[in-house]
Amino acid sequence: MKITCINGSPKTRRSASARIADALSAKIGGAAECVVCGAAELDRGEAPAAFRGSDALVFVFPLYVDGIPSHLLRFLDESLHDIAEAASGATVYAVVNNGFFEGRQNAVALEIMRNFAARAGLRWGLGLGVGAGGMIHAAPVGRGPLRNLGKALDALASEILANQTGEDRVCEPNFPRALYKALAHAGWRKSARKNGLKTKSLYAKP
Amino acid sequence: MPNKKSVQLILHDLRPDAAADILPPSSARRLLFAASPPVHRCVGCFGCWTKTPGKCVIGDRGADFVALLSRCGELVVLSRMVFGGLSPDIKAVMDRSIGFILPFFRHAGGETHHAHRFENPPDLRYVFYGEEIADAEKETAKKLAAANSLNLGSGRSAVEFYQTVRDCAEAFA
Repeated sequence: MKITCINGSPKTRRSASARIADALSAKIGGAAECVVCGAAELDRGEAPAAFRGSDALVFVFPLYVDGIPSHLLRFLDESLHDIAEAASGATVYAVVNNGFFEGRQNAVALEIMRNFAARAGLRWGLGLGVGAGGMIHAAPVGRGPLRNLGKALDALASEILANQTGEDRVCEPNFPRALYKALAHAGWRKSARKNGLKTKSLYAKP
Repeated sequence: MPNKKSVQLILHDLRPDAAADILPPSSARRLLFAASPPVHRCVGCFGCWTKTPGKCVIGDRGADFVALLSRCGELVVLSRMVFGGLSPDIKAVMDRSIGFILPFFRHAGGETHHAHRFENPPDLRYVFYGEEIADAEKETAKKLAAANSLNLGSGRSAVEFYQTVRDCAEAFA
């Protein structure tokens, strides 16, 4: 069995999507061949060839303005027929993470991916919406605030290996929402200071 | 300077010849922004929040969009329908627009959303074109407009669908 995991983050390092894709690949482990493609492969147009013979395509990406990051969207749009041909018979899964606390805010992006699968003539598996992506580096996946994420990825790995379909699901951290918000705000203020700005400057109206 | 509420910003992905045919001319009350040829994509650096607040750090024309958005009472997005959402060219502009909102959270409808940087954010109107748009894609597009409006705008949104670019002229009649 071949599973191709596509990291749809435009970031080259420390992205939440890379962390999730790596954790999912580790869970799939030796049970199947698991290939991870990133933004560089998408840009070079190499991805459709890498998809060839895949039983599952797993798209992992951050939520951008309630949808798919533009570079991944462009790839899906421009390579639709190549993807459909290279991965014909594959089942499509998607894992979307956002910076909001609520995993359900990824629902529209998951629908867009479902519509992509329909346009490509591929079978839709299911989607997982992950909230509080800002916590992804706070602990190992499956530990502490990321226990729910670990369980969600365990279940998804089993479903992918069994070629199952299902209802879209959401996942939120084992962490209070109010504290997540407070930490996020503190993080933005810290970033501003590192850039030589005062908190007040973050509210600028240029 | 016209009242902000009376200013309309049209973001579109038409080629120049089609834009000239379909869209009304720009004026003090009608601003136009062409998404094609595409602007550089967002790279997820959050510089528009923490380095140059309210302005994208990437130095192409995509960095000018937020300033236009802050001057309008209505944003009209004319886009080819792609999988129930915006076209890649339009999406590249929208992804570069998050400097329009603040990094800080607010609560609305039991959810976290970003706080507004500017008072009176615009109403959103999405005008999609495409042959054989599926019903499921139309439903997704309505949800997308509502979500974008809640996060970027006033919370008020409208969505229209047309089969061809030429048909879209009706939206601006």
